[in-house]
Amino acid sequence: MNMNSGKKMLLIGLFAVLAAVIALVPIGMAETFGVKRTAKKPQDYGNVQMDNFTGPKGVAPVVFKHWLHRARYTCRLCHVDLGFAMSRGGTRVTEGDIRAGLYCGACHNGKTAFAGEGTRTGQGKNCDRCHSYGKEVTFSNSFAELTKGFPRARFGNRVDWLKAEELGLLTLKDEIPGLTIKRKSLKKPEDMELRPLNNALPDIIFSHEKHATWNGCELCHPDLFGVKKGASVYTMQDIFGGRYCGACHDKVAFPNMDCQLCHTKEVS
Amino acid sequence: MTGRSGWLIAGLCTVLLGAAVPSSLAFNPWTFPKLPPPEEYGSLLIDRTSTANNVLPVGFSHWSHRLRHTCRVCHEELGFAMLVNSTEITEKENLQGQFCGACHNGKTAFGHTAEHCRKCHSGTSTLAKKEFARLDSLPRTPFGNKIDWVSALNAGLIKPKQSLRESPSQPMGFNKKLDLESRWAGIPPAVFPHAVHNQWLDCANCHPDIFNIKKKTTEHFEMVFILERKFCGVCHLKVAFPLDDCKRCHPGMKS
Repeated sequence: MNMNSGKKMLLIGLFAVLAAVIALVPIGMAETFGVKRTAKKPQDYGNVQMDNFTGPKGVAPVVFKHWLHRARYTCRLCHVDLGFAMSRGGTRVTEGDIRAGLYCGACHNGKTAFAGEGTRTGQGKNCDRCHSYGKEVTFSNSFAELTKGFPRARFGNRVDWLKAEELGLLTLKDEIPGLTIKRKSLKKPEDMELRPLNNALPDIIFSHEKHATWNGCELCHPDLFGVKKGASVYTMQDIFGGRYCGACHDKVAFPNMDCQLCHTKEVS
Repeated sequence: MTGRSGWLIAGLCTVLLGAAVPSSLAFNPWTFPKLPPPEEYGSLLIDRTSTANNVLPVGFSHWSHRLRHTCRVCHEELGFAMLVNSTEITEKENLQGQFCGACHNGKTAFGHTAEHCRKCHSGTSTLAKKEFARLDSLPRTPFGNKIDWVSALNAGLIKPKQSLRESPSQPMGFNKKLDLESRWAGIPPAVFPHAVHNQWLDCANCHPDIFNIKKKTTEHFEMVFILERKFCGVCHLKVAFPLDDCKRCHPGMKS
């Protein structure tokens, strides 16, 4: 008898919990569907907060600015030669790594670029320049100053980085002496015409040359895209989900909202 | 006895949970927001930091801006959010040519200078009635600004800019008309013309944040949520023609 009513109580309890879950799920979701995300400011687009280990150490997270680094270096240099992952938090950089000359420390060593000094004593110099999240820091580089006079784009940083490079407004380094091992360049493959799955949309012209300038071959092949034509079948949903083109576009490279930058060819 | 009191507790829990479900989920779908006078429809009082900084809030009218620019210019190119006070507009950034400052720079439109302060920092969303009265000649609709903006655009009576760029990209030309089945028996389907929306908007104004791009995959796309400023309600409650105009979307509806 006791066992029975105990079981009954358990069932009733479970029912109540289930009812609570069913009732609360839509409340939690209410803010996340049917509305538009707020666009990032031009100076904030592509900024990455790095906080793998900062919390427990009581240090402010790092705010990494893509715009500042891409004005000087190719994407390939950091994402291939230095081994930075393509997703936030994916690299798990430690202070030790940096002091050993890996990752940020390949340049931020006091020679090529500033280094953090005196961090052991707690009287650090330069710390705030990277560990800036939530702090009022006066930076020596201003986005507005740097991008003044650059060709404009509609979205993202609102800077047409490709054109800026073509016009010679940027000189991109693709090599860190002692770290980069240069191979003879491959002949650049031809541009590709990609037919969308929805044939009411214009075709996509993919420029291998423009991408290779920044990325080499190895940033995209073979992980993101197979090398055989037609081998990778992907949809815009995949891209919006951060896969394929979405590995860069929408995070750092111009966002996917600029449809006509890729879907360029007239519907025939 | 224990069993019975258990049921009692469960029943009580259910009732309490029912009360905790927000009004959005309760069955009361047809409370349309009260419409302001036509000249104030789509007008906003922007006061994110103004009052806190001892400055009058900014009165912004959508109609005076949509005469000159399509929605995409401000809501995509300039990065204005779709909810008042959620865009972090600052004086510094305006002066650097962002947000309002992209046009209000003394060249394209009056600048962000001392003599013009009160033009925007007016403290009221009731603005420029005289200028609005001049729009009487535009085609009419029964609700909102009582102006049929789409017909006005198609007739060439207004010529809003498509872009602030020197060489704007060509429109995508995706003009598919969708018939959206209603969830309720007896309610005729809604029509969605891509072409009309493309005149004002980029694909990205709606996709993929508000609507999925794959047909019939947008979840919770229902009138109750539209009335909560989701989906069509992001625009069609406060700025684009209001939902009171049932037949414009559900043309088969008996009035």
